[in-house]
Amino acid sequence: MNLSIKQLFGRKPKSSNIAKQRLKLVITQDRVDVDDRFMTRLHHELAEVLAKYFEFSASSVKMNLKQEGNSYILVADFPYTKFHDMSMRK
Amino acid sequence: MGKVIVVTSGKGGVGKTTSAANLGTALALLGKSVVLVDADVGLRNLDIVMGLESRVVYTSMDVIEKECELNKALVRDRRVNGLMLLAASQKNNKDDMQPEHMKAICDNLRTTYDFILVDSPAGIERGFRNASAGADEAIVVTTPDVSAIRDADRIIGLLQNAEIEPINLVINRFSPQLVGNGSMMDQADVLDILNIDLIGVVPEDSGVITSTNRGIPLVYEDGSPGAQAYMRIARRLTGQRIPIPDLEQKGLFSSLLNWFTKNR
Repeated sequence: MNLSIKQLFGRKPKSSNIAKQRLKLVITQDRVDVDDRFMTRLHHELAEVLAKYFEFSASSVKMNLKQEGNSYILVADFPYTKFHDMSMRK
Repeated sequence: MGKVIVVTSGKGGVGKTTSAANLGTALALLGKSVVLVDADVGLRNLDIVMGLESRVVYTSMDVIEKECELNKALVRDRRVNGLMLLAASQKNNKDDMQPEHMKAICDNLRTTYDFILVDSPAGIERGFRNASAGADEAIVVTTPDVSAIRDADRIIGLLQNAEIEPINLVINRFSPQLVGNGSMMDQADVLDILNIDLIGVVPEDSGVITSTNRGIPLVYEDGSPGAQAYMRIARRLTGQRIPIPDLEQKGLFSSLLNWFTKNR
């Protein structure tokens, strides 16, 4: 509530909020023992598989880990422009 | 039977030793018998923060090497009843001590004293494992910044694996002004990330620097905000239920906003 009013007024985001968001992400990764190298590898492998079916630009892909209660959620956004099934072309 | 509490943080420089010194003194001022144990072998600091450096004759290493009895190695603090210090050796290093040595010392001390506060070195290596070996409970000290909180989370994980419980959080060097203008995370933010019980918030207090210079723990000066915060934490450690005050300094706009949202 407090936050949404401030956002409405178009204020610069508070640095304490930025700190909190950054920490939440990094600590979620620390806790499940996932490091950047692992995330990059996962990113590449997922992209390889998805590229068989979708057209997307690598720069638009976003992957994040989220924590909800005691479980972790992998959220991957692959915004695609076109659907194509490479396996059908053979 | 006394309680053994390890004071730890992960990151260095967040106020572990200051917190251990003040909480130990505060507990003694409340009439408890206390031993402060410096577990930072090779980089001892607790004796100088306490102003007892000139009176240290034996260290925990001398006890381990059976050079002297444990009781003889304790330095009595003459300013308050029931407060003792067990200094760390400066000439040895962390590998000279084993976790079971520290456990034996803590188990011995707890038969005589109400509280044994072990000041842990920074890091997650040997020094931390030694310091926490004999602990029943833990106090994790952090400051409200990203690196200290990240390291605190790592330490909390290690303490949980070692089945040390409860783990209580102290947020140190809290600046009401910076929280008020949104430049520092508040206690709710920190707790949301770390997810453990808060036992106290210590405001930034320049008195800490002068008290360390003099070797007189801040809690001897009742008026200072830092001293009051440490006294409240000590009371909570003895089981008293004392609410944690909201230290945030709010601007006029957000005070009004809060008033409206609360009174709707």
